Amino acid sequence: MNLFQREPAEPKSQAELLYQAQQRKERQFRTNVGLSWGILLLFLIFLFSGNDIAIGSFSIKTINLDQNFIKENMGFIAGGLWETIKISFLSIAFATVLALLAALGRLSTNPPIYALSTFYVSLIRGTPLYLQIFFFFLALPQLGIVLSGTLAGVVALGLNYGAYMSEIFRAGLSSVGKGQREAAMALGMTPRQTMQRIVLPQALRFAIPPTGNEFIAMTKDSALVAATGFVHELMWRATKVGRAQFHNLEALIMAAIFYWVMTLILTALQSRLEATLSKGDR
Amino acid sequence: MSSIIKVTGLDKYFGRLHVLKKIDLEVKPMEVVCIIGRSGSGKSTLLRCINFLEEPSAGTIEVDKLVVKAGGRGKEHRQLVHEVRLKTGMVFQEFNLFPHMSVLDNVTEGPVIVKGMDRAKAVQIAEMNLDRVGLLFKKDEFPNRLSGGQKQRVAIARALAMEPKVMLFDEPTSALDPELIGEVLNVMKKVAQEGMTMLVVTHEMGFAREVADRVVVMADGEIIEENTPEVIFKSPKDPRTKALIDRYRSGGHE
Ligand SMILES: Nc1ncnc2c1ncn2[C@@H]1O[C@H](COP(=O)(O)OP(=O)(O)O)[C@@H](O)[C@H]1O
Ligand SMILES: [Mg+2]
Repeated sequence: MNLFQREPAEPKSQAELLYQAQQRKERQFRTNVGLSWGILLLFLIFLFSGNDIAIGSFSIKTINLDQNFIKENMGFIAGGLWETIKISFLSIAFATVLALLAALGRLSTNPPIYALSTFYVSLIRGTPLYLQIFFFFLALPQLGIVLSGTLAGVVALGLNYGAYMSEIFRAGLSSVGKGQREAAMALGMTPRQTMQRIVLPQALRFAIPPTGNEFIAMTKDSALVAATGFVHELMWRATKVGRAQFHNLEALIMAAIFYWVMTLILTALQSRLEATLSKGDR
Repeated sequence: MSSIIKVTGLDKYFGRLHVLKKIDLEVKPMEVVCIIGRSGSGKSTLLRCINFLEEPSAGTIEVDKLVVKAGGRGKEHRQLVHEVRLKTGMVFQEFNLFPHMSVLDNVTEGPVIVKGMDRAKAVQIAEMNLDRVGLLFKKDEFPNRLSGGQKQRVAIARALAMEPKVMLFDEPTSALDPELIGEVLNVMKKVAQEGMTMLVVTHEMGFAREVADRVVVMADGEIIEENTPEVIFKSPKDPRTKALIDRYRSGGHE
């Protein structure tokens, strides 16, 4: 017997050829989309480049940004990044806890607990986030409760996102089939053990990707707390220097770039996380 | 010999639907009893009432001298139900393995969490039971990497690892592709031969004929006939039993 014997190369099947053609098409599409993105981006940069271009009698004036202002205030505005990430992170952590409790309450057969959960969700969803933020900054002090800027922001954003995210956790909890609970109960687990060991780990795993999406959304909604004037995050800093020196255009563009790049990075991390989770042991 | 399972006057209603009607059933230690009957006749519900996955509406369930009355409430009742569940292992049609745990962890979960056994001992018991169902070599896999037949064998090992007095099987091969049924039935046969008391809801007439000591026939929430496999398969008394067996003979699986 020849150990080094090889299988003869098989001619490619029809299906294989079709598959390759399909792959080629998809690659080409992605390349073209990438190129178009590049062109749009270049156009945007050109639009704000401050160049004056004359082609014959036809001249194009692009928008002129004050480079000095940008250089001088870059550090100050960038300093808000950390505050933005911090407040988003704390808020999403608080929101996650609230969302999980609200989801458990929503699935409870205990009337007061069920009521508390639905009441909370209804109240929060029925009022604007902007109002809720002002409530914690401006209305509470009237009752003698003064929260620090960051704390008030985290409470407002957390309560708001918690109500919306309760749906994620409810979906997560109900994604765990009845058979799982029954198998745990048949083994003799108590309802609490069943929840902790069997249902929650599966529900939380299900909820990780959508929670990541909420975190990304939160980094942008956190800009709303700037309006109160107490949290020195990106938006607050941009508007502060922009207004003071009447360079709102530059300041807001800078903040927008920070938000956008942050979102791009977080979205990339998010898709990687999702890919890892989905190829895991499910 | 006294019975290890004794169901007396068991009634079960789902809303207005009367699903089990005054069921009386006894199983002796080491006996293998197969329950057959058309779909919807109440076989699963009967099995699930025995370990209280369904709350019986009336009657008494006795498992290994623990007597539990229907309609019980409160701590004492819950404790009794808990003890009944410790004495009964259950295997489901849909396997219901825990997908977030390895095969080994699926099997150690009950002993560690429910019985508070230390992990080393639980691993030892789990490995023994995985070996019993021929799947020790899969212990580090996750359930989604197993075939249906392998999943069901792990589910059997998981139930056995709790060292129950009785095993309840609810159509353990009905969700399997035909070529995977044999391996599961073989494991069940082996467990039966090792002396386990088993109550098996099944459509596998070959298994019932070969392994069962007794066959119980259900129709419309009642036990219409019970006897040795020979009698049930060769000379059934009730025309409904005859019709049921004829359907299986002609290959009809409902
Ligand atoms: N959770 C439930 N709620 C309402 N009806 C049910 C429920 N479970 C079973 N039933 C009904 O009870 C009857 C018996 O069901 P089941 O015990 O599953 O029968 P089998 O296992 O013999 O097919 C059927 O009519 C079924 O529709
Ligand atoms: Mg059934």
